[in-house]
Amino acid sequence: MFAGDAGMQTVTAKKDNGKTSMARAGRLIKPYLFILPILVFAAGFVYYPFFKTFLYSFSTVNVMGEITSFTGLDNYRYLFSRREFGTAVSNTLRLTAMNVPLTMFFTLLLGRLLKEKRFLGGLFETMIAATMAVSMGSAALTFRVMLNPTVGWINSALGLGVRWYEDRNTALYGILLLTVWMGIGFNFLLFLAAFRNVDRDVTDQARLDGAGPVRVFLSVELPLVSPTLLYAVCTNTILALMTSGPIMILTRGGPSWSTTTLIYLMYTTGYGSGNYAMAACVAAVTFLLTLAFTLAGLWADGKRGDAR
Amino acid sequence: MKAQHGIRKKARLALWCAVCFCLAVPVVFPVMYAFLGSFRTAGEFSRLPPALFPDSFLNFDSYVQVFTRVPMARYFLNSLGTTALVCAVKICLSILAAYAFAFFEFRLKDLLFVVILGTMMLPADTLIITNYRTVSRMGLTNTWLGVAIVSFAGASQMFMLRQAFVQAPRALRDAAFMDGCGDMRFLWRILVPVCRPVVITLLMQAFVAQWNAYLWPLMVTDSDAMRTVQVGITMLTGAEDANYQVVLAGACAAMVPPVVLFITVRNRLTASMTRGAVSD
Repeated sequence: MFAGDAGMQTVTAKKDNGKTSMARAGRLIKPYLFILPILVFAAGFVYYPFFKTFLYSFSTVNVMGEITSFTGLDNYRYLFSRREFGTAVSNTLRLTAMNVPLTMFFTLLLGRLLKEKRFLGGLFETMIAATMAVSMGSAALTFRVMLNPTVGWINSALGLGVRWYEDRNTALYGILLLTVWMGIGFNFLLFLAAFRNVDRDVTDQARLDGAGPVRVFLSVELPLVSPTLLYAVCTNTILALMTSGPIMILTRGGPSWSTTTLIYLMYTTGYGSGNYAMAACVAAVTFLLTLAFTLAGLWADGKRGDAR
Repeated sequence: MKAQHGIRKKARLALWCAVCFCLAVPVVFPVMYAFLGSFRTAGEFSRLPPALFPDSFLNFDSYVQVFTRVPMARYFLNSLGTTALVCAVKICLSILAAYAFAFFEFRLKDLLFVVILGTMMLPADTLIITNYRTVSRMGLTNTWLGVAIVSFAGASQMFMLRQAFVQAPRALRDAAFMDGCGDMRFLWRILVPVCRPVVITLLMQAFVAQWNAYLWPLMVTDSDAMRTVQVGITMLTGAEDANYQVVLAGACAAMVPPVVLFITVRNRLTASMTRGAVSD
């Protein structure tokens, strides 16, 4: 809207020979008018809630969401003393620590296997990649039926007696299975493209030098796709730390807190119980966790750059 | 010697196919399971041991139930409406900002670029509680705009478009301005059509992401008429019966638009994803 006005302004300004101060002012602010719309939404729905969250976490907030007083670190002290918070942190970190290596291993393997375009390769490729378009909702509902201890097919076909989402010892692994599955399509495509970008001459040369296929993979191809690997590890870590949707649909944090993650805890305390200050604390902790992992990723990227 | 070589080659190909098959089938299995299960009846689900295939592929009863048990047609309309709104606004705003960053020189350029890209560092999920407060104060709960508004700022889209604009031939702009084009005419009539592949890719990505969104639409809608498909399909389980076959039919129905779209534009999507990963 604004940008449209700016465009019109310059067009008319040019007709007046473009030397008036109006035109100069127009040209000066024009770039900002182009950027203003996206900036408004970035400010209103990303930066504002971000700062507000931190502000909330240091305050007493009533159920209407109004700040009544400043309390410093009291909220955090209370939060850290709660047992469910510790459980949520541990569940979230365990889920992340298992999810990322599993997803990376499996999708690297798939990407490398399907690198060469061969007979039936395109079919496998499409089949695997298409799973990335399946929504979390659809996937979670399918897993609920598939892993159902009585009517589900998996337990009876594999002869398992696992109660999956109904047992506090296995529920988290059920969630893990689903979240790993959801990540396969996207990461597979990333690695497939990365392996295909590896120069054939390099691998052929390594083969001629007498390296076996495993050696070529580990010492030649893997280092060459390491930028993609690093990117995938970072994005997957952040995604895994945010795990909440499957828990809302499948377990509601249970049985007995065994699948409560940080974002799920934030959702239930903030939206469910109206305790905005506490929810803000959880959000702040989650954010600091993701920031730590992002910085670690950037640091690793810098190191890799130095090594080269 | 040569024949032996040929046989070895064929054996290796067969082995490769077998390995890929063994890995690909578990990946696709949940989708196939949902599809097959959606044709089964409640009776078939209560039979033990659980079977995989339905007795008949002509049993569309569950699909009928998906659309009669809950207002699923309305949910599809809501999903389409909010998704279209997000796609349109997000891409337009990104195009405008990308144009400024690609073609103008101005004082705060670097700072503003970092400010916009910085939004990618703040995960949307940690912001939903405060955003819910904002949106409800604006009176936008239970509206399409309320569902869509938090996704309007697309930093990664802006970044990709800027890359595309920078790569477009410089002479294009000079020629257009010589012919009396203004910035807006040049941008929408010439530059965007030239960069159409990137724009379409980004639209597709935005479509799939928004169509599949769950947490935010769940929070910001509580009236039955305003739910989206993703939220709606989780409400197919009845209070007294589990309705496995209807749930699976709902899951399948919700999959159709994004998966079909994805398969049609897959090659383009792959290419742009690689570029994104490399530039990161």
